[in-house]
Amino acid sequence: MDISFALTGKGYVIVAADTVAARSIVKMKVDEDKIKVLSPHLLMAYSGEPGDTVQFAEYVERNIRLYQIRNTHALRPPSAASWIRRTLADSLRSRKPYAVNLLVGGYDTSTHNPHLYWIDYLGTMSEVPFAAHGYGAYFALSLLDRYHDPEASVEEGLATLKRCIDEVAKRLVVNPEKYKVKIVDKDGVREVEI
Amino acid sequence: MPDGSFAHPQQRQFNPYTDNGGTILAIAGADFTVIAGDTRQSEGYSIQTRYAPKVFRLTDRAVLAVNGFAADGNMFVKKVKQRLEWYRHAHAKDMPLHAIARLIQTMLYAQRFFPYYVYNILGGIEEDGSGAVYSFDPVGSYEREACRAAGAAQSLVQPFLDNQIYFKNQKAAAGQSHPAHLPLSDVLAIVIDSFTSATERHIEVGDGLEIYVVVAKGRSPQGLETMRNVQELSTRPDGDRMFILRRELKKD
Amino acid sequence: MNSFLTRYSSTSPEADIRKAKELFDEDGDVSDVMWGSASGFGNLASGVPMFKLPSVPDPTSFLRMHTDDHADPSCRIKIKHGTTTLAFRFQGGVIVAVDSRATAGSYVASGTVKKVIEINPYLLGTMAGGAADCQYWETYLGIQCRLHELRNRERISVAAASKYLSNLVYSYKGMGLSMGTMICGWDKTVRIPEMNRDCTEAIRANCRLQGPAIFYVDSDGSRLKGDLFSVGSGSTFAYGVLDQGYRWDLTDAEAQELGRRSIYAAGHRDAFSGNTVNLYHVKQDGWQFIGNYDVSKLHYEGPGDVPGAPGTGYGYDLRVAGRTSSDAPQSEGQA
Repeated sequence: MDISFALTGKGYVIVAADTVAARSIVKMKVDEDKIKVLSPHLLMAYSGEPGDTVQFAEYVERNIRLYQIRNTHALRPPSAASWIRRTLADSLRSRKPYAVNLLVGGYDTSTHNPHLYWIDYLGTMSEVPFAAHGYGAYFALSLLDRYHDPEASVEEGLATLKRCIDEVAKRLVVNPEKYKVKIVDKDGVREVEI
Repeated sequence: MPDGSFAHPQQRQFNPYTDNGGTILAIAGADFTVIAGDTRQSEGYSIQTRYAPKVFRLTDRAVLAVNGFAADGNMFVKKVKQRLEWYRHAHAKDMPLHAIARLIQTMLYAQRFFPYYVYNILGGIEEDGSGAVYSFDPVGSYEREACRAAGAAQSLVQPFLDNQIYFKNQKAAAGQSHPAHLPLSDVLAIVIDSFTSATERHIEVGDGLEIYVVVAKGRSPQGLETMRNVQELSTRPDGDRMFILRRELKKD
Repeated sequence: MNSFLTRYSSTSPEADIRKAKELFDEDGDVSDVMWGSASGFGNLASGVPMFKLPSVPDPTSFLRMHTDDHADPSCRIKIKHGTTTLAFRFQGGVIVAVDSRATAGSYVASGTVKKVIEINPYLLGTMAGGAADCQYWETYLGIQCRLHELRNRERISVAAASKYLSNLVYSYKGMGLSMGTMICGWDKTVRIPEMNRDCTEAIRANCRLQGPAIFYVDSDGSRLKGDLFSVGSGSTFAYGVLDQGYRWDLTDAEAQELGRRSIYAAGHRDAFSGNTVNLYHVKQDGWQFIGNYDVSKLHYEGPGDVPGAPGTGYGYDLRVAGRTSSDAPQSEGQA
């Protein structure tokens, strides 16, 4: 039932994920942060099988950090996304694969390009201007086809994200009340309230 | 264990359906309609007969092609013909094509909870003299179209028809447009090619080909009479004309 | 006139005899009407038709075994599924828009299906679920609506027509019918002078029931009155565009464009929907067919020269052509 959205704009990526941690029919927690900050210019929203999600996210977080310590530079978003995808793909062929879906958003400080990657638990990856995981995708993708603007300002981007969240609130049977929203741009990562 | 005793409850599946293969197709022209079907009847990998017609003359201007489960198909055609005969006795005329189409819908839908496993294509001449094709699903939803293939090789034949009849994915030469209707000779060539190709690539298609051609009253059969293996079925010289054209298909 | 009424009434002695005849008719296949011009749908005027059932302990599971392609993709009788339909009410009437794709499994069985059923000049029904179920029962509904006109000398309301359909399909609940439909129309407007003369509570209630109306009716027996509905596998995608662009005070052109754009969105994102869009507009004097639009053409070229059109293709790539998310400083770009 996890829902996550992400979209690019002029020099930034917005990543949003709901904050519910559910078990069976019970909400265990309503302020869970499901977006990891992997490096100064890299974000990852994760969802899927409870347990796998956090385990995998922390594994990725530490390895990306290790790379940065060893090389003094962080991986650029395309390379980081490739490494994450490969890790997931290798896991798929293991005895117990991670069932985790990801949205990886980052800002490449060398080319000044924002990047967004949609990755599923099978290791399918594609670079996209906007993305969604979970039931939210059924409502948001057509909406974003219509309203997404690659040159939108942060305010406009957040307004488009608000449309997605409102649409899900209006139509989806179970509505996650709150979303955590993070933005990555040339200045790094910051969290915003929506 | 099924040991003949009644100690354990036994269940038997009632499966009254089978698929007898084959393919049918119909194409409407401006003032004619072509309705065709192969004559192979099979079940699984066995050929039951090399000549089992799937296309039937209903009236002077209506032809019905039936594909799917042959027993249901034959039963259904028999009942349609009976209803048309009753109509003839009551009204001293043949039922018009669009009315036959609606009749077939209600007859199929009457079996909604125990369907006839048949895909029907009705072809003929409408009251305004235009060629018409109606296609049906097993429970009676129907639509008037210009062409339709059904049966085992429909997924091979229909895309070919879309390209050759509707000119799908084709761009007309500069300053020209695609014709709305093709002449009879072109349509017959497309029909024969469809079946020879389907015979090559589908194991349930082959043996023989029966092509019915209905030509509107007063319109020229465009040299059809002189073709090889043609038989005229018209009852009156001054009405719509009906022909049957037979061709051999590969028998392996 | 009188004999005509008794012939079609459901309470007269003739009707009782007719019902008894039906009950004791040995071969339900053959009735007197089949001999005459009433063959076909004509025999339905004498009551709900009888259906043949298989001689098995549970006819419903028998049907499901042979027709349900969700449970068993290899089953023989494939009933067509997959659709996007929508209808919404606004200041200028009702917009009805549908796609035209019919699928059997992953095969596109038809790309030219008419999913709007023209029940009569004031009523439209949409088609989602079983194609035959919708086509047959909505045609049947059309007959009953006409009989209502003959019996009561006035048009049937959308509420009554949809209730008739709802009750009818509910009586078959559990038998395997599959339909999700919107009954759309315009209820006749009461003239102001008539109202003033003797404004009883009944007339006042009637006034509230005038104007554009939409009812969602499905084979579970649900019947919902509302302003905006979308039904089918692509409905979520249609809702995404429709909800965000919807306002009560949309102009006619804006409303038509919204309906068209929403079905395009579903055709684009839902593999079971697509081919073409059929657009209808219901106004006070009945429905009007606006047009048929190819989804691919809408993607690349847009709807052409029609009111409310954006002038370009609906496709995302076309809409954002030449725009970039890069914020590289200008000087660096030129260096």
